[in-house]
Amino acid sequence: MFKERGKKGAVLMENVVFIILNVLFLTILILFLARQGQGAIVLEQSYAKQIALLIDSAKPGMTIILDMGKAKDLAEKNNLEFKDIVKKTDNVITIRLSEKGGYSYSYFNDVDVSLYPDTSNPEKVNSYVIKINEYN
Amino acid sequence: MSITNIKMKMNKKGGAKIISMYWFVILIIIAGGIFAMVYSFYHHPYDVRELEGEIMINHIADCLSTQGNLTSALFDEEGFSQNFSENFLENCHINLDVEEIWEGEPQYYLQINFYKSENLENSLFEISKGNLNLVADWNIQEEKEYKRTAKGVEDDFFSFNREDMYLIKILTIVKKTEKNVK
Repeated sequence: MFKERGKKGAVLMENVVFIILNVLFLTILILFLARQGQGAIVLEQSYAKQIALLIDSAKPGMTIILDMGKAKDLAEKNNLEFKDIVKKTDNVITIRLSEKGGYSYSYFNDVDVSLYPDTSNPEKVNSYVIKINEYN
Repeated sequence: MSITNIKMKMNKKGGAKIISMYWFVILIIIAGGIFAMVYSFYHHPYDVRELEGEIMINHIADCLSTQGNLTSALFDEEGFSQNFSENFLENCHINLDVEEIWEGEPQYYLQINFYKSENLENSLFEISKGNLNLVADWNIQEEKEYKRTAKGVEDDFFSFNREDMYLIKILTIVKKTEKNVK
C-alpha cells in the first residue's frame, strides 16, 4: 500500500515540476518581450526622430505638446532629470535617457525652437513643449 | 505482476519522459525564433527618410506657392529670378546642415523644375541644392529598391503666375543611411 502511494507521489511531483518549468519559461519569454520596446536605445531613437520630424513639419507660432511619459520613467530610473533629457544644438535634437550615450537627429526646418517640460498643467507632467518661435 | 506488465509500465514511463524532453526542445526552438524576430525588429533603426523627404516637399511647395499662386519673389523683370534660386535655402528657410558624423558630406539633395503647362517636356527653370551625387542613388532606385542607398521622393503640383499656369516638379533625396538602415 505504501509503495503504491510512493509511485503516485512521484508521478504528481513530475507533473508539478513540468508545469512549473513551463510557466517559468513562458514568464521569461513574456518579460523579455515586454522589456524590449522599453530600452533606452529604442526610446532615444524614436523620440529624437519624432521631435525632429515634428519640427520639420511645423510653422512659426505653433506649439506642440508631446507626451514623453515612457522617456520620463526611464530617465528617472537612470537618475536623470526630465528637463535634461532633450537637448538642442543648432539644428540637432539629442535625447539622452541613460548616463552614457544619447541619440541625435537633425531637422532641416530653419526655425528657432524652444523645448521644455510642460509645467503649466499638472495633468501633463509627462509632456514636453515644443515651441516654434520664428524663422532664423 | 508478470514480466510483460513490468516492461510495459517501464516503457510508458520512459515514453512520457521522452515526450516531455521533446516538449522542451520544441519550446526552446519557438523561443529562439521569437528572440530572433524581436531582436531583428528592435535592433534595426526606424527608417524615416521617406517621411523626411515628403515633409521637405510640402515645405518647399508652401514656400513657392500660396493659395495656388507662385510667390512673386520667384520672378523679376526677366522672368524667373536667378537671385531667388541662388538664395533659395535662405528664402525658403531650409538648413541642410546635419550631425557631426557627416561633417562635410551633405545628406540632402533637392531639385525643383518649372514647366509651362503647354510644354511639359522641357523645364523652363531649375533650382537645385545639396549633394548632387545622391541623384545617382535615386536613379538606381528607379529600377530596384536598395536599402542602403539614399531615398528619394518626387511630387508635383500646378500653380499660377497671373494667367500662366506652371507645373512644378519637386524631387528630394535624403541619405542619412547610418541612422536609418542597419
